[in-house]
Amino acid sequence: MSESDMAIIKPEMMKSYIWLETSDGSIQQVEQEVAMFCPFICHQVLQKGAGSSKNNAISLPQKVNPAMLSLIFDYCRFHQLPGRSNKERKVYDEKFMRMDTKRLCELTSAADSLQLKPLVDLTSRALARIIEGKTPEEIREIFHLPDDLTEEEKLEPLKNTMDDPRIRLLNRLYAKKRKELKERAKLKSIEVEERVDERVDERSVDDLLSFINGRDHKVVNTSKSKKKNKKRKEHKNGTCKVSNKDSHNLHSKQRSVDETSSSLGGVSNLHNIEDDIFSRKAEFEDGFIDDEIDPALKEMLDREVEDFARRLNSSWVLSVGQERQPVHFSINGNGDTRRLTGTHS
Amino acid sequence: MNNLPEDCIAKILSLTSPRDVCRSSAVSRCFRSAADSDHVWNHFLPSEFPEDFRAPEGLPTKKHLFFSLVHNPLLLHGSQLSFSLERSTGNKCYMMAARALNITWGHDQRYWQWISLPDARFKEVAALKMVWWLDITGKINISLLSDNTLYAAYLVFRWNLDPYGFRQPVEASLVLAGTEHDDVQPSMVSLMQNPGSEQGQRAELRSDDWYEVQLGHFFKRRGDMGEIEMSLKETKRPFEKKGLIVHGIEIRPVLP
Repeated sequence: MSESDMAIIKPEMMKSYIWLETSDGSIQQVEQEVAMFCPFICHQVLQKGAGSSKNNAISLPQKVNPAMLSLIFDYCRFHQLPGRSNKERKVYDEKFMRMDTKRLCELTSAADSLQLKPLVDLTSRALARIIEGKTPEEIREIFHLPDDLTEEEKLEPLKNTMDDPRIRLLNRLYAKKRKELKERAKLKSIEVEERVDERVDERSVDDLLSFINGRDHKVVNTSKSKKKNKKRKEHKNGTCKVSNKDSHNLHSKQRSVDETSSSLGGVSNLHNIEDDIFSRKAEFEDGFIDDEIDPALKEMLDREVEDFARRLNSSWVLSVGQERQPVHFSINGNGDTRRLTGTHS
Repeated sequence: MNNLPEDCIAKILSLTSPRDVCRSSAVSRCFRSAADSDHVWNHFLPSEFPEDFRAPEGLPTKKHLFFSLVHNPLLLHGSQLSFSLERSTGNKCYMMAARALNITWGHDQRYWQWISLPDARFKEVAALKMVWWLDITGKINISLLSDNTLYAAYLVFRWNLDPYGFRQPVEASLVLAGTEHDDVQPSMVSLMQNPGSEQGQRAELRSDDWYEVQLGHFFKRRGDMGEIEMSLKETKRPFEKKGLIVHGIEIRPVLP
């Protein structure tokens, strides 16, 4: 109805215009076909008959400022023409998206309030590409976001998925371990010496487990899990000395320990065994918030750690003189026990 | 970015990856609330689940469901097929139990025994006593897998105390059932670690302390139908094979 009104009022004009008012109070008119490309405006015009004159201008949502509006209308003006090819549209979109992050956000906001879905999709994808692969600090910087989570809260995401507060500590250890893993892998010969010097545990598997569960002193650090980690280390060394028959049992116990610590459900005493072989100190800085909150990364570290522990195991066995061959190492034609190189995929 | 409504942020995050979303939950309060929303994690969960899939109970959010499926494979198909998600993309992964495979002579106690191991995912694994004709085949319906994903199939196995007869490479193949098999050359894979023979795939140790060797790979497109047939064979050499313990065949996405 307003369309026909406009036609009567301005018959000499080829185009009809729609009147819009932005949040700052300024009023402008835009070609009808361009403006109607936005569902919000379309709705206002058709349902409420607004936009036909200066007095009756459609007031746009607050997030739409004049700069964004003109950008949006550039977009609409291009795309509302049916004659454009898909390739042309793609090329235009690529160029259109080249703007700084701040404007991208404003544009997303404005396009969203005007319900212009194709543009929202476009800007969202561009913003997603910016976010990908960045650490939380970087994201905060780029988008000027407040650092308004407490330390507790930053660790919480992991708590939600893992349900065990000690996993947090583990993740910190993992980060340290990772560093040490790499160092130690290079200094392999020195490792062997170190291990020979360390205490060799002759106790049976069950003794070790009860020892681990029972003891809670001998602190190197403040954290409880560190103490338990220390015991784990001894436990691990003990593994090598246990007989073949036992090694399978131990292996399966180890397995269940590993699994329980990395799956949902808190288990009071059991942590990832390999953990503590490396970590000695608790230095909780270094910004590995990444590892703390990321269960996926944690699992990857789990594997690296286990892998390395196995490597430790095997070279320890070799150094002690091949008195036994653990069940799970492969034997090639020469009869040597061999470790597989590289990790699984 | 402060001014963006939460559902906009959620939409943007759903276009990234599970890892990025986890990181995002440590950025700021508004990011966190968007990053933990079901809207985002629904996007990473598969759009189609296998028929007899039942979501585990007691998981409060979709994010919990996602990570539960990543870390705790579910047993389907009468406990002969395990289902899980690949953590960086949410793509579906499966492992077929040894019982679900077709092992020639597998029913004969003289050649194969079925034992239970505590660290196996399934109730039984197949332990080879001695066989001349080694032929292990598995089939999986390709529609169970995630679209537009490159998958690889792996035989998961280990050795008992004295394996024998596996020093030479064996034949592995992966074909789409029903296609012409004649012109498809099986590849040679080595189940052992022979430093000398560089040809073909070699067995690798997994994090769960089993070995795996790749049988082949394929790309699943949307709408693909039919079955993938994977097999490991050694039927040409006239000596016996002993000591192989077969856990199953795992099918999972190939990570870049």
